[in-house]
Formats: sequence, C-alpha cells, structure tokens
Amino acid sequence: MPQLEQVEFFISQLFWLGVFFVILFTVLTYITLPKIRAFLNQRDDFVKSHISKQDELIKKAESIIENYEAKLTEAKNQASQIINDAKDKALKESEGLIKATEEKIQHEIKQTEERVAKEKDTAISELNDQLKDSATNFLSKVTNIEKGNINL
Amino acid sequence: MAKGESPLKQFEIQPIVDINFLGFDISFTNSALWMTITTAFILIFFTVPFLKAKKTNSVSDLYPTRMQVAAELGFNFINSLLADTVGKEGKKYFPLVFTLFMFILFGNLFGMIPYSFTFTSHIIVTLALAMGVFIFVTVLGFVKHGVKFFSFFVIPGLPVYMLPLLIPIEIISYLSRPISLSVRLFANMLAGHTLLKVFAGFVSALGFFGILPLVFIIALTGLEILIAFLQAYVFAILTCLYINDALHLH
Repeated sequence: MPQLEQVEFFISQLFWLGVFFVILFTVLTYITLPKIRAFLNQRDDFVKSHISKQDELIKKAESIIENYEAKLTEAKNQASQIINDAKDKALKESEGLIKATEEKIQHEIKQTEERVAKEKDTAISELNDQLKDSATNFLSKVTNIEKGNINL
Repeated sequence: MAKGESPLKQFEIQPIVDINFLGFDISFTNSALWMTITTAFILIFFTVPFLKAKKTNSVSDLYPTRMQVAAELGFNFINSLLADTVGKEGKKYFPLVFTLFMFILFGNLFGMIPYSFTFTSHIIVTLALAMGVFIFVTVLGFVKHGVKFFSFFVIPGLPVYMLPLLIPIEIISYLSRPISLSVRLFANMLAGHTLLKVFAGFVSALGFFGILPLVFIIALTGLEILIAFLQAYVFAILTCLYINDALHLH
C-alpha cells in the first residue's frame, strides 16, 4: 500500500498540507468569509428595513381603509336620509294634489246641481204660466168671458 | 489502467519537482499539486463572486448572482451545522470548520476526476488533519476550563467504585478520537477508489461482457461522489461535536 510504504514522502505531504491549509485558512478567515458575511448581512438589513417599512405602510393603509369606510357609511346614511325626505315630500305633495282635485270636483258637482235645480224651477214656472195662459184662453173661448176677467 | 497494474498504483506519490530543504525532502508531488488545485479552487469559488460586491441599497445590487448563491450555500451549510451542534459560541470556530470541510470536500471530489490524485486517501494527510483538530480541541478545553477539563473524563452520577474502570475507558476513547477520525476518511477514500479500479480492470478483462462492470462503475461513481461529500460532512460535524465537548464538557 503506497500510503504506508512511501514513508519518504511523509514529510513532503505534511509540509504541503500545512502550507496549503494555512494559506486556505488565513485567506478564508480574513478575506473571503468576512466578505460573504458582509454581503449576507447587507441583504438581511435591506430585507429587515423593508419589512419594517412594509409594516408602516400596512398600518397607513389600514387607517386609510377605516377612514374610507367611515366616510362611506356616513355618505350612505346621508343618501338614505335624502331619499326618505324626498319620499315624504312627494307623498305630501301628491296627497295635497289629490285633496285639491277632489274639492274642485265636489265644488263643480255642487254648482252643476244648483244650476240644474234652478233650470228645473224656471222650466216648471214657465210651464205653469203657459198652462195658465192656455187654460184662460180655453175658458174665455168656452165661456165668452174676457180673458182679463178670468182668474185662475 | 495497463494490465497487471495494481489497483493501488493510483495512490502512489510521484514527485514533480524535487525540493530539498535543510535535509528534508519536501518535493512538490502530485499530492501537493492537487492540494494546490483544491486550495486555489476553493479560494476562487468563494472569493471571486463577492469581490465586486458594492455597498449600495438598490435592490438590483442585492440580487445574488448564480456564483454568489452557490457560495452562500456552502457558507450557510457550515453556519447552520455549527449553530446546531455548538450553538452561538460556535461562531468563533466557523473559519476552522469551514476550511476543514471545504478542503476535505473538494479534495475528495477532485479525486473523483479520472487520472487525478486523491490526497485525502493518504493516512498521513488525514491523520495530520485529525491530530490538528484533536490538539486544537484539547488546548481549547484547557484554555476554557483549566484543570477542570479533566472532569470531562468523569461521567457525572456514577458510583465511585466504577470510576477506576470508566476513567481509563473515557481517556482511551478520547485519545482514539484522532485515529477514528482520520482512519474513517482515509479508509473510505481508499476503499472507494480501489473498488472503482478493480471493477475498471474487469471492464477490459471481460471483453464484450465488460459492459456489466462498466454500468456498475457508473453507479459506483455516483455513490463515491456521495461518499466524498458524506465523509467531509462527517469530519466537519465531528469537529463541531469535539469543539462542543471542549466548550461545555458534559
């Protein structure tokens, strides 16, 4: 087995192992690893700062949403109030209109009735007069009494 | 693989540049070459994507590129591993665990490239890494707790007459940590690569029916890549557990 037979190279192997291990260890410790760590830390810091910023923005957004919702409910209330007012007003107006129309109709009915009654009266009295005239005529002819002397 | 070549030949160290320093042979070998490649790759893979990173706050600069995401993946993987096993105190040891994991992981993975060399298949390398971890953890324990660290070997709530038996067992288990840690990695790499080579030998030996071991090798290569990751993970998580033991004792 060369590992145990080539004893003459033991010192060479140990020497070069030492040299390269020390070089590797030193460069890694003082140059490479700090660089990697700095890079990772920088990114972590960036991410962390953005997360805190994000939290702030979320809070802001939440307050804005609350504000918006409050305003929205207020607006809704106002709107429903306006609608109710309008409904009441419309109802009142239409009621008034109906009443006025009914009164007018009633009034006209009354007038018409009065006119009809008057006309009826005049018609009856005229008829009476004519009847009287024709009865007087008839009687004067039959009895030869002058018209002026007949009193019915 | 030429006929008659041992499946262990792939583990042979071949010097590329002979170097002699104060009488020590520190030749630059194929093992050292692949350590170079691994180190260079890790450094490029994890450093280059972040070189251009500017300090800005615009969103588009914070989008990670594909390479950055890939590098982050490794970073976060070790980060969570350490956080899960050691906790917050473990952050200090992050570079160590990260280096160990990546070095072993890419050493294993590059070893899967044909004609490459797996330096983690050498017991001397894995033992050195494990001893490094062992010594570090032991020193850490003494630094944190002083002499109290020895209480680590005394299991609380045990009758006194059991202590003479259990303290040696605890000490032996503690001392065998680097051995188990190193042999686990070394043996896995050795066995996997040897198995692949043995079946690769069958492919050429069986002629037309060599297609069967070939299919097997393809499946086995997938498994070996899994093991390459798994062993690096095991090494890293055990290191984390040892650090946790040293920090918190029992």
